Amino acid sequence: MTRVTLILALLAAAVVSALPVNPASGRIKLVTLPVRSRVEVQLDNPDATLVEEERVVNLLEGTNHIDFSWANTRIDKDTIVFRPLVDDEKVRIIHVAYPPGEDALVWEVYSEESMPVRIRVSYLIGNLDRTFNYRATVNHEETSLTLRNYMRLRNFSGERFGEDVGIWAGFGVYFRRPLGMTESRQLLLARFTDVPVEKKFVFNWRTGQEVPDEPYQRYVAMHYVLRNDTDHGLGEFPLQPGKVRIFQQDGRGGEAFLGEDWGQFTPIDDRMELYLGLARDVQVERTIDFRDRHNVKGNARNHEVVLKYVVSNYRTEATTLNIEEDLRALRDELIGRKNRIPDWTLNDRTTDPEKVERVSAEALEVHLPLPAAPEAADDEVEEITFRVHVTFRNEW
Amino acid sequence: MKRLLLILTCLLPAAVAAADNIDLVTVPPRREVQLTIYNSEDLTLVRERRAITFNKGLNRLQFSWANTLIDPTSVHFSPMERQDELEVLDTTFPGTRPQVLVWNVESEFDGEAMVEVSYFTSGISWAADYVMITDPDETEMSFEGFVTVTNKSGEDYEGAEIRLVVGVVNLVEEIERLARGDVPPQPGTPAYDRLRPQAMRARVGRAEMERAPESRAPEVVKEGLSEYFIFTVEGVQTVPHGWSQRMQSFRAEEVPFEILYRYRPHQYGPRPKRFFILANDEEHNLGDSPLPDGVIRVFRRNERDGLGFYTSQNTRYIPIRADLELNVGTDDQVVYERDVTRAVRSALTLDAHGNVRGWNERRTWREEIRNYRDRTIRMEIRHNFGNNDVSFLMPNAEELLVEPLRLFDNSTVEYTVEVPPARRQVLISRGLFRLGRNQRREGVTLLEPDDDEEQSSLEPLR
Repeated sequence: MTRVTLILALLAAAVVSALPVNPASGRIKLVTLPVRSRVEVQLDNPDATLVEEERVVNLLEGTNHIDFSWANTRIDKDTIVFRPLVDDEKVRIIHVAYPPGEDALVWEVYSEESMPVRIRVSYLIGNLDRTFNYRATVNHEETSLTLRNYMRLRNFSGERFGEDVGIWAGFGVYFRRPLGMTESRQLLLARFTDVPVEKKFVFNWRTGQEVPDEPYQRYVAMHYVLRNDTDHGLGEFPLQPGKVRIFQQDGRGGEAFLGEDWGQFTPIDDRMELYLGLARDVQVERTIDFRDRHNVKGNARNHEVVLKYVVSNYRTEATTLNIEEDLRALRDELIGRKNRIPDWTLNDRTTDPEKVERVSAEALEVHLPLPAAPEAADDEVEEITFRVHVTFRNEW
Repeated sequence: MKRLLLILTCLLPAAVAAADNIDLVTVPPRREVQLTIYNSEDLTLVRERRAITFNKGLNRLQFSWANTLIDPTSVHFSPMERQDELEVLDTTFPGTRPQVLVWNVESEFDGEAMVEVSYFTSGISWAADYVMITDPDETEMSFEGFVTVTNKSGEDYEGAEIRLVVGVVNLVEEIERLARGDVPPQPGTPAYDRLRPQAMRARVGRAEMERAPESRAPEVVKEGLSEYFIFTVEGVQTVPHGWSQRMQSFRAEEVPFEILYRYRPHQYGPRPKRFFILANDEEHNLGDSPLPDGVIRVFRRNERDGLGFYTSQNTRYIPIRADLELNVGTDDQVVYERDVTRAVRSALTLDAHGNVRGWNERRTWREEIRNYRDRTIRMEIRHNFGNNDVSFLMPNAEELLVEPLRLFDNSTVEYTVEVPPARRQVLISRGLFRLGRNQRREGVTLLEPDDDEEQSSLEPLR
């Protein structure tokens, strides 16, 4: 059922001068209900959905009143824009009136002559929105994927918009589709093929999932990294936030589900990092290998700490492990909580300083290459030991 | 009872405008079904293939799943043939009919094509469990692994290929919650139960009878996929709603293992724990696949052809070649005691008022391990000193210890000793604590042993 109605009330000039308080009653000489000839739903604003509809009204020479009313829909009255699509000189909007206690308004329109006029009414409407989601299928080798970007349009506005509605997300494909009441519709906005994907292994002591019965271990997380640029098969438009589900070709003509994550808004030339699941064949044990402190002045001290990571890669492929260390949290753990940015340096007992990246004042990352597990069944998996030696300076 | 329906509605062009004008309805049967079941989440990926006859033009495919636990946001349609001639224009979820969706598919041909419908469902799960039976001497064991599939999804899956994923996938929303978004009758409620077919058991019996008789149990084939492992059960299985099915995934005989006692009071409590240690590798007649998390039940075969029960506990995931360390609990035949036998304070630091603000304390410990078993035991001992500043030494450690005295971490010493049967091993160790203002750092420093008046010793029990 259509809830939004547009009523054209044609009024004789004498009647206009004696308009009652309620302009919708007792003054209507003739009423027509022009059907929508065109509807556009603009979804490019994430917080507001704009509906534009066109109707053809037969204006009489002189003053015309056009009633616009709605029921059980959340139209923002203050956003309604009325535009006759004719020469401004021939049709002029005199004013708009808001009847009290009603979801309605009345435009008073003056026409130079009697004629059919196409008008466009635009308004913001609630409960008509969209979400985005992605479905990616990665090849068996996990080197590239096909990414499908869907838009799910949800119409709980209480309004049926018809069988031929223009739908525009602000990017991707422009659609013309039916849009019924309380209906959701999923549309394929874009499909990108051969998108290179980078697989990333992350060990983070603070955020990693605990390993049962192993207090010095945390599970390693597996991430996929996509780059939203043309070199990586994307870069046509910013990727909107939404759920990303990743599947992998299983090499037998089928697929398996690898995991899902919320994709963050990703501008062009930026990267989208997705946490998919655990890589439990890479094991990391982290211990504090050494601590010392040195007086500086008064109660100020330098605190030394050596972190030791013992890593075993049971995977049959070599890889790089990214060890993330939160230095503010480490400082707070060792010395006590401080409301100061840590002042730290990397020191000489670090196994290989070139593998350590200072990400920020509060974080470092170790990029540690791991050999594949040996092929020979008798050979044991090599344990890689890496130490990070940090001094927190001038703490009190 | 089938809850999933795929209805093909072919619309003539004139009928397109009238959405409810159905000219032809067919319900194509499933040709193949594959269940990929995840054990880390309540999640199963179902892929089913059906042959559908398309008419040239717009085809409306209605898919409904009343009273099941399917996540509607996951339902995906893809043609397996003639992909270039079939285009999914959109997917519509009519608000008036929950648990229904309609694919509008534009076809460039009249004819049949195989399509795949995939979706997530909750309510199907699998779990691994293991049975270990050691020989009476506790040197070897038989080791069996099982997988159990349980279907509480509301849908019966007949003739399904079953794949089990060993891995922890990330889900940002629970499938069950997504599925229940608009499901009026919930499993476990009287309304839901009323919907269950009364003759389920009889019907399943028929289905079982219709299958060719099995002469052997299905094998479980293992292969890696990304960071996970997939176990594929050989052949096809029928898993009706409400039923569970347990299958053997592997069996290994004569698996050698070692026994290690661990004393870590900060981790395991005041008594040493006994561990069975083996590796998931060829040397231990294992290593075909990782061992998924699951319950391990450990028994010991006694001399009377019976079994004794040791423990039942959850084990974590064990990669190929990694060690499996099974904590089978305390052992009343092995006694461990540790006492401070002496404490001497020195190096007092006073403040301006003559109050002690810092001091050193030298402690001597005596550890005693009594082995009442008829075999040599090995015990790994860790002591954690927290944030204290401690110098630690153990006289004649080199003679006694089978692994060198070392620091496990900054504040924890570790050493390993062997105790022959019916022997008492006495260990003497010393620590110098710098306390209060005397503390210079946090952690333990190992010192070389010096000539000490008190020595460790090994003595008979009586």
